[in-house]
Amino acid sequence: MTSRRVAIGVAILAIAAAPWLLGTPYWRGILVLGAMNVLLALSLNLVIGYTGQLNLGQSAFFGIGAYVSTILIKTYGWNFWLAGLAAVLAAGLLGLALAAFAVRLRGHYLAIASLGFAVITYQVLLNWEDVTEGVRGIYGILPPVPSTAGLFYVVAGIALAVYLLLDNLIRSPIGDTLRAIREDEVSAASLGINRAVWKAFAFGLGAAIAGLAGVFYPGFVGTLVPDAFGIIESFTMMAMVIVGGMGTMIGPVIGAIVLTFLPELLRGFGELRLMIYGLALMLVVLFMPGGMVQAWNALRRRMS
Amino acid sequence: MPDLLALVVQQSINGIYLGCLYVMVALGLTLIYGVLNQINFAHADFVTVGAFTAFFTATRFATKVLGLPDTGGYLLSLVAALGAGALLGLAVNAAVFAPLRRRGTDELRPLIATIGVSVLIENGQLALFGPIPYQFDSPLARETLRVGRIFVSAQSLLVMAVSVAAIAALYAFMRFTFIGKALRAVAQDRETAGLMGINPNLVIALTIVIASALAGMAGALLGPVVVLTPFTGATLIVKAFAIVIIGGFGNMEGTIMAGLLVGVIEAFTVQYLGSGLIDLVVFAMLLTMLVVRPTGLIAERKEENV
Repeated sequence: MTSRRVAIGVAILAIAAAPWLLGTPYWRGILVLGAMNVLLALSLNLVIGYTGQLNLGQSAFFGIGAYVSTILIKTYGWNFWLAGLAAVLAAGLLGLALAAFAVRLRGHYLAIASLGFAVITYQVLLNWEDVTEGVRGIYGILPPVPSTAGLFYVVAGIALAVYLLLDNLIRSPIGDTLRAIREDEVSAASLGINRAVWKAFAFGLGAAIAGLAGVFYPGFVGTLVPDAFGIIESFTMMAMVIVGGMGTMIGPVIGAIVLTFLPELLRGFGELRLMIYGLALMLVVLFMPGGMVQAWNALRRRMS
Repeated sequence: MPDLLALVVQQSINGIYLGCLYVMVALGLTLIYGVLNQINFAHADFVTVGAFTAFFTATRFATKVLGLPDTGGYLLSLVAALGAGALLGLAVNAAVFAPLRRRGTDELRPLIATIGVSVLIENGQLALFGPIPYQFDSPLARETLRVGRIFVSAQSLLVMAVSVAAIAALYAFMRFTFIGKALRAVAQDRETAGLMGINPNLVIALTIVIASALAGMAGALLGPVVVLTPFTGATLIVKAFAIVIIGGFGNMEGTIMAGLLVGVIEAFTVQYLGSGLIDLVVFAMLLTMLVVRPTGLIAERKEENV
């Protein structure tokens, strides 16, 4: 337990120091993006890493979080935090809707159903112009805290809290239940695990966390268009989870940070960012299926 | 009423024309799934590569370098696109499917790896060709046949003829040749087929190449019809999945029916609801189908699935 406390302390120190180490507004913006990506990777990892459900529709929940909160604030004059809470709940409920498919479908079928789900959500955001403004987009959205460093502290603090919550959850009997479903659904059911309930739990919680990341996105960017939530976003989240190490707690965090910063270091090459994501996804699946965590463990074993 | 009738006939023809293209794309997906039980997510990006190959063959190479007439150049570009698709099929099999199969894999890892391939191809094309849509004019689109109030372009006749020929050739291949029989044997039971002296790796490679070649050629036919951008494949792949699921994964007849059905529904959606709603309608169908009948339209004849 003490090593865990040390790790939490190091994480807090790192978060506190980051905006001062990367002092320019541009890099502080990248930090905010990184913290959001950590949240998204954590949310997806719960579903695909720990529960074993290949969900390609996570971008939908990210988008719902962003749109519900922004519309409540801009159109109905809600307070940011209240609107954020409502948006998280809305995303969680939508996650339950996707879980209804996950209860009936497995493997490839679930992957495609969740993809269709994300496409439909995107199309609704695009076509329901009375509410979402469609391609025209919503402009002049303000962040909840004025300074970029402040926004980073808020999002990174939330990401740390979510990490600790999920870490405790995964160590608890609930974590065993989810892992049992991942390893073998039928055996899990024969042990008396209610698959429908626990899949719904994982999808709902995962969707709520993705929605939470979405709440902070519009204020950070200042504008909101449906294109920010296309299925490519689901794939970048998956790249983070898989490159870092699916089904581990720290893996997706590392994956999110690496895949946020690595393309920035190679700026000036334009389209290279997503090419890196694609290549990383392919190479890691082929050569390092356990991601960076597996590579690190292998390296440590060889050293000792 | 003849107005309405003419409209319905016209839209049905447009729908079947579109559906033929979808069938060419979706058949490859279903073929690979039938033999390999795996999904090539980059399949529709092969269509885009085929379309760009055809575009540059028709507008640059064939007409400018070889000095062919427009129509001849376009027909040559179909062959070039077919070749490009086949090469991509070879590459994706060698780089992704074969190594993963050798090491033994679950069903989802090839899907995730090919999502990576798809992202790579799309953004590679973006780097090469830029985001602005290409105007791919087929010389055949200018020729129009008029029967009463119905208009049919030579392009759509070519599309229908080529896809019917391709599907017929595929069927004849599967039914009457030894390799086709081997392919069906591997689809039914890979291990037993291996014991009968069939090399499953060769058959699988061949399946992926055939499927990808079909996708490449579909690109040459589709290029003049759709808005050609590096991301055309991204919108197409989800539709192809919808078709494959509606038809029943791995079921060729079902895929053909579903492809035509989606094409016709799309044509009428454009007519009556507006083009913005196409994806909504198609995916609502997909999700309904998954809940009501996940085995597809015609699933009873399972032993004939390929």
